[in-house]
Amino acid sequence: MSEAMNAAQPGVPAEFSEFGPESAAIYCQNLSKHYGEIQALEALTLSVPYGSVFGFLGRNGAGKTTTMRLLAGLALPTAGRAWVAGMETTSARRQARLRFGYLPQEPAFYNWMSACEYLEYVGQIQGLNKAKRASQIDRLLALSGLQDAARRRIGGFSGGMLQRMGIAQALMGDPPVLLLDEPTSSLDPAGRYEVLDMISQLRGKTTVFLSSHILTDIERVCDTVAILHKGRLVLVSGKDELLEQHPVNAVELEFEPIYGSSDQEMLARFSSALQEKAWVASVKRENARLRVMVQDVSRGKRELLPLVMAHDLSLNRYEWVRPSLEDIFLQLSA
Amino acid sequence: MLIMAYSLSIFLMITLPLALAAGLRRVSRPVWLLFSVGSLTFILSQAVHLPLNDWLADIGFLPKSSVDELPLWRTAVTLGLTAGLCEELARAAGYALIKKLKPIWMRWQDSLMLGLGHGGIESMIFGGVLTAAGFSSLLSMREIDPNTLGLNTEQLAALKLQLELFTASPWNAILPLIERTLAISIHVVFSLLVWRAFARGKLSRDWYYIPLAVLYHAAVDAAVVWTAETSSANYVLMMLIFTSTLLPGWAWALWLLRKERVLRAAIKRERERQVGDSSIWAELSVFWAASIKELRQLWRTKRLLVMGAVFLIFGMGSPVIAKFTPLAFRSIEGMEMFAEMIPEPTAGDAMGQYIKNLAQFGFILAVLMAMGVVVGEKERGVAAMIISKPMPRWAFVSSKLAAQGVMYLTGFILAGTGAYYYTLFLFEPLALGDYALLNGLLYLWLMVFVALSVLGSTLAGSTVSAGGIGLGLAVALLLAGALPRYGALLPGGLMGWANQLGQRAAGVAASLPGSASASAEVMANGGAAASALVIILMSLVLAIGVFEQQEL
Repeated sequence: MSEAMNAAQPGVPAEFSEFGPESAAIYCQNLSKHYGEIQALEALTLSVPYGSVFGFLGRNGAGKTTTMRLLAGLALPTAGRAWVAGMETTSARRQARLRFGYLPQEPAFYNWMSACEYLEYVGQIQGLNKAKRASQIDRLLALSGLQDAARRRIGGFSGGMLQRMGIAQALMGDPPVLLLDEPTSSLDPAGRYEVLDMISQLRGKTTVFLSSHILTDIERVCDTVAILHKGRLVLVSGKDELLEQHPVNAVELEFEPIYGSSDQEMLARFSSALQEKAWVASVKRENARLRVMVQDVSRGKRELLPLVMAHDLSLNRYEWVRPSLEDIFLQLSA
Repeated sequence: MLIMAYSLSIFLMITLPLALAAGLRRVSRPVWLLFSVGSLTFILSQAVHLPLNDWLADIGFLPKSSVDELPLWRTAVTLGLTAGLCEELARAAGYALIKKLKPIWMRWQDSLMLGLGHGGIESMIFGGVLTAAGFSSLLSMREIDPNTLGLNTEQLAALKLQLELFTASPWNAILPLIERTLAISIHVVFSLLVWRAFARGKLSRDWYYIPLAVLYHAAVDAAVVWTAETSSANYVLMMLIFTSTLLPGWAWALWLLRKERVLRAAIKRERERQVGDSSIWAELSVFWAASIKELRQLWRTKRLLVMGAVFLIFGMGSPVIAKFTPLAFRSIEGMEMFAEMIPEPTAGDAMGQYIKNLAQFGFILAVLMAMGVVVGEKERGVAAMIISKPMPRWAFVSSKLAAQGVMYLTGFILAGTGAYYYTLFLFEPLALGDYALLNGLLYLWLMVFVALSVLGSTLAGSTVSAGGIGLGLAVALLLAGALPRYGALLPGGLMGWANQLGQRAAGVAASLPGSASASAEVMANGGAAASALVIILMSLVLAIGVFEQQEL
């Protein structure tokens, strides 16, 4: 992470705030949105570089969707301005809306239309000629894996198909920037896999601005991450850079599988004992697996294994690892 | 030719303000809602102005029946001052409200839009509606001997003069249009004057612009009243004097805009934009695509089919009901004694039934079919998806009204054809011209309620509340038709005209060779037709203005 910090936004390096509207794929300048007393977004200044897959992280209600709606020109800012691909989108200019494709959290379509008809309509709105519309529709149906459903009514699509359709319509007209608001939040694992795979295919071709509260998704597809908390930007960084910056301070413990209630109780007692230790920051348990965030690594390395032995537990795996994005996110948004 | 010339002039008096506002919007992007705000300030000012003039007449400060009752100079000054005070203070109140609620709408272009809205609705009502009302009445009176109307000598002379003027040449139709265009321009100047009082945020220093606007308005209106009474109907002279009173205002407005260096910059920006995808042709092409999509939606969701079937059934059914209802009564046991009292049904009864059926069921359909067109898409999130594309918001709303218009046109063609065929089959042939005009009037009447429902659908937050708002607006309009002096000029007046046409269309059969009866006279109500057009357009403008400000 760069040392140069934006004075107004601690945690935001200069390269993510100082590029102007002309040189950034997305540029927000003191963008704010208030709903009465509620400050949904507060003075967001942010540059998203061209070509990145930019993850916009935040808990529910952090202001992610508000930012997306402001960028898409669907909401009016209380203060500040925003540009996408060099055009101001907060000024209600028609041309600005040719610079991005937008997928809301819950995409809605004309259910009586087929996928093909909807994309054709979007192409007409964008002023594409007939030949260009036809070629783009073929390409996008192939990219979204909807060729076989091209003539089916959208009303009969599954959740995953709707999201892929949503991305396809957002890509119509080859916009330089794609705004995706929680594209996987309502999907089952198979649907999530399909959508993330589709986003991965866009890497290097389109700038993707992706908001989500599902950290594993962001970790999987994004190369740059921003964290929004209570309407304020708390951190922007390259994902790998961010993970590298955080020292190895987590330990994963995997025990013998739990077969009975006595095993269960033993593990619970061990987990409680760990949490009481001053050198432990947090403990996360999943079946017979524990992930322990440690504040004092040297003490942890000295005291952890004796504690395991004291609780008479059979250890299958013991590994010191870097914190995940989720660990960092929870730490920053606590 | 005369009818065409006046129709065109009336149409332009109604649509010209909107065309000017559309042009201004393209050049400098003031919001459409300001046009409606400007119109509202005019309507509210008249709600005070007209009763005030009536009261002044009651207390003897203004003439009651003849202008000769009082010195002309006093009448002219009083009328000018009441107009200036009411209109300019209403305008100032509008600016004060905007300054408080939406200070970013206090730019020079916003004041021009407010002025166009204020002068525009005046042109639509005092120009379009009243000229249409006067012209249609005079056309109808051409068929009547004025001496049979029971007027006094002075009234009779005035009527004859008006008849002569209206019928002398089709070119006379241009006079009210010129007068209204000039009036719109001076309203823009008044608007700029009052804006100056608020623009710099120092009302305590710039307050004098408001009395200046009042006095200038009063002077212009007083000159108009004076000239109208003293120029012996020399309309060229009247126009020249009117124009000369406007010259100082125009000069000041041009000086102000040049000083602000705004006009040239705005025009340059617009020229640049015309090169890109935001040209008017690109926007119209999106409007066309959206309208076609709306029509396909009406077809694919079976709404067009259902509506067409309902109209066809009521169209065909009306003559059948008119023919067989008396027969059915006669066949009821115990009703034989009344058989002689039930008159033999005629084609006129079929027309009465037709108008009644289409008015009742058409009204219900209009509200039901249009109430969800905008709010439904907002609720489901489709509107957000579409508006995030380069779809102009005006095209989104207008395409819905346009598609509804085509749907009801189809309905009327089906209903009209069905009713004509069954009337021919069961009764006599109808006069096609009158019958077509009757259907046109019914269609215009129905479109008023469609437009109000689309407005309701834009204002509301849910489909149910949209239905409530649409129905409320429609009922309010129907009730306003009962107002003593102005009710006949509202769209409800179209029904009376349509009923007379229906009877005349049916009466042609009776006046065919071998028949003794003549066709009835019809009092055309052009004012009602013009007001229907005004309400449709202003509902659309308000719907667009509101939708532009909504977050999706």
